Amino acid sequence: MTYTGWFVEQFGAGLGWFLANLTLILAIAFPVMVGVALAVYADRKIWAAMQMRRGPNVVGPFGILQTFADAAKLFLKETIIPAGASTGVFLLAPMISFTLALVVWAVMPFDAGLVLADLNVGLLYIFAVSSMGVYGIIMSGWASNSKYAFLGGLRSAAQMVSYEVSMGFILVAVMMYAQSLNLSDIVLAQKGNVLGILNGNIFNPLLFPMGIMFFITALAETNRPPFDLPEAEAELVAGYQVEYSSMSFALFFLGEYANILFMCALIPTLFLGGWLPPLDLPFLYAIPGFVWFLSKMAFLFFLFAWVKATVPRYRYDQLMRLGWKVFLPLSLFWVVVVSGWLMFTGHFAAAPGVM
Amino acid sequence: MSAIASEYLPVLLFFAVGIAFALIFVSAPIAVSALTGTAKPEAVKLSEYESGFPAFSDARAKFDVQFYLVAILFIVFDLEAAFLFPWAVSLHWGGESAWWAMMEFLGELAIGLVYAWKVGALEWE
Amino acid sequence: MAAFAFYLFAGLLLTSGLMVITAKNPVHSVLWLILAFFNAAGLFILLGAEFLAMLLVIVYVGAVAVLFLFVVMMLDIDFKALQRGALQNLPLGLAVSGVILAEVLLVASGWTAGQGVIVHEALAGPPPGMTNTQWIGSQLYTRYFFVFSMSGLILLAAMIGAIVLTHRRRVGIKKQSIAAQNARTPGGTVAVGKAAIGQGVEL
Repeated sequence: MTYTGWFVEQFGAGLGWFLANLTLILAIAFPVMVGVALAVYADRKIWAAMQMRRGPNVVGPFGILQTFADAAKLFLKETIIPAGASTGVFLLAPMISFTLALVVWAVMPFDAGLVLADLNVGLLYIFAVSSMGVYGIIMSGWASNSKYAFLGGLRSAAQMVSYEVSMGFILVAVMMYAQSLNLSDIVLAQKGNVLGILNGNIFNPLLFPMGIMFFITALAETNRPPFDLPEAEAELVAGYQVEYSSMSFALFFLGEYANILFMCALIPTLFLGGWLPPLDLPFLYAIPGFVWFLSKMAFLFFLFAWVKATVPRYRYDQLMRLGWKVFLPLSLFWVVVVSGWLMFTGHFAAAPGVM
Repeated sequence: MSAIASEYLPVLLFFAVGIAFALIFVSAPIAVSALTGTAKPEAVKLSEYESGFPAFSDARAKFDVQFYLVAILFIVFDLEAAFLFPWAVSLHWGGESAWWAMMEFLGELAIGLVYAWKVGALEWE
Repeated sequence: MAAFAFYLFAGLLLTSGLMVITAKNPVHSVLWLILAFFNAAGLFILLGAEFLAMLLVIVYVGAVAVLFLFVVMMLDIDFKALQRGALQNLPLGLAVSGVILAEVLLVASGWTAGQGVIVHEALAGPPPGMTNTQWIGSQLYTRYFFVFSMSGLILLAAMIGAIVLTHRRRVGIKKQSIAAQNARTPGGTVAVGKAAIGQGVEL
């Protein structure tokens, strides 16, 4: 019996459906929030290790409760709404950032069939939600009525918008192989796709550059170093977040890290075979797909932290140059190459879904 | 209701849950501090941050036209990507003629990109 | 349920549309407009047109409204002065909107839904084994190639037009030439010489 089926039997069609989906949603939302706390801790520990420091080690065993202590502190702080700010938009902006960072998880397949909404256009849904992420930032920058926040918001919006373009083209190449916009289909299309034994688009020489570009684009989209221009502490004193305090600030923080975690989950789904083991060998399937998925996520997160610990920040003109003059033409050209290769080697002869 | 629309109901519910969480997180500290009387707003606390000086002018000023140009170029390329999405998943039906059609489309846009590059519109100054 | 969802989305759509034109602050207008786009996307989903719904959000909310917001946020208009002039322009505005309304009514009365075959085909939904997106794709690039190609040209014109209107070459700024930087070698820039005591170096 399915999960929803059990609820429907217990509580009737309407209420049962509602309760089943509500529990599923909470089962995604709470782990994401706790995951953010752990991710912040892991982040700080990894930088500390790379810089020969200890990192947080006081609160709780190995300092693991440090983030929870920070969150509790923020929660108890007073919310300051600057006198010059437009109150409504000012409070709406962090809510938008946070809500979008949560709802984007609705289409993520954690394991075979383990997905809240298995949409036909799952990839487009992700693209749509992530393209709306700009709003939280522009609105906070404008509403704060502070020059630092305003500049930070503008910079951030232009940056995210620039990298979204090449992100779209990279997605096109991936969906061309899977012949589908459904994330589960995209994962399944990667099963044994290279030499019949490797699971994952990244092992495909035609998609390997796309995978690398997508990783860098993901760094830029989530405002991670080396692309953390919007909050450059030295020049903009945290950019669009400068006027925020208490939980409104915490929501930006939560949203930002939830987005990073999401990117760490999306890259495996698109390029590393999602919940599939890296090699298409029967005994590897004994380990549940969920475990593979989480370990791939953890690996990607380590890469994100590694980049942050080692790469210096880009200057703004360099950032724009990379987005418009390198990634855009390259990804556009690569779409032509990949589609041409697939077209003239007969990839499209078989109807999709039959592969 | 069509089968497709009912697939989206969980997403709608997720939006509702997310907004509810956000509302609680934002309003709870405000409400608690207002009710317990710990909120003590004062003029200096409420003024915007500007390196310790009072702000000289309104922050919402005119700014560089380059930002608009980036936004317009983004719209053009976003639309181009939007045309690529259905194309990428339907080449089985479209076949070679669809492929050549897209090459022609991309060619037109490539001309635009080359033009933008040549006049220096992609350069950030 | 479907009826409830329809009235929810349609009601919110009309309300936010009304707010767009009545809101005092243009930034609030744009935010209401975004809400209107959302509800329109919801209506598309109710019809089963999921690709169009996502596209509406990606293109209009994700791109067009960002530009609107950029433009509107950075205007420093004096709203009081704007409102004072509004009453003088009222007759002209009414005349223009009256003409447009008459034209729309004229077109709408002469048009009947479903003249072409296409509408009837579309009502049946995609054939089995095909998703909504694939169905659009299978038609757009072959059957409607001309329209598709035209839209490419329109985009090209829009792009060139935007650049011509807004791009200005500026003088007196410092730029980084990455190619020149990478082409530098120690041989061309560094010289090792001997400096005699009390003589200095000739550069």
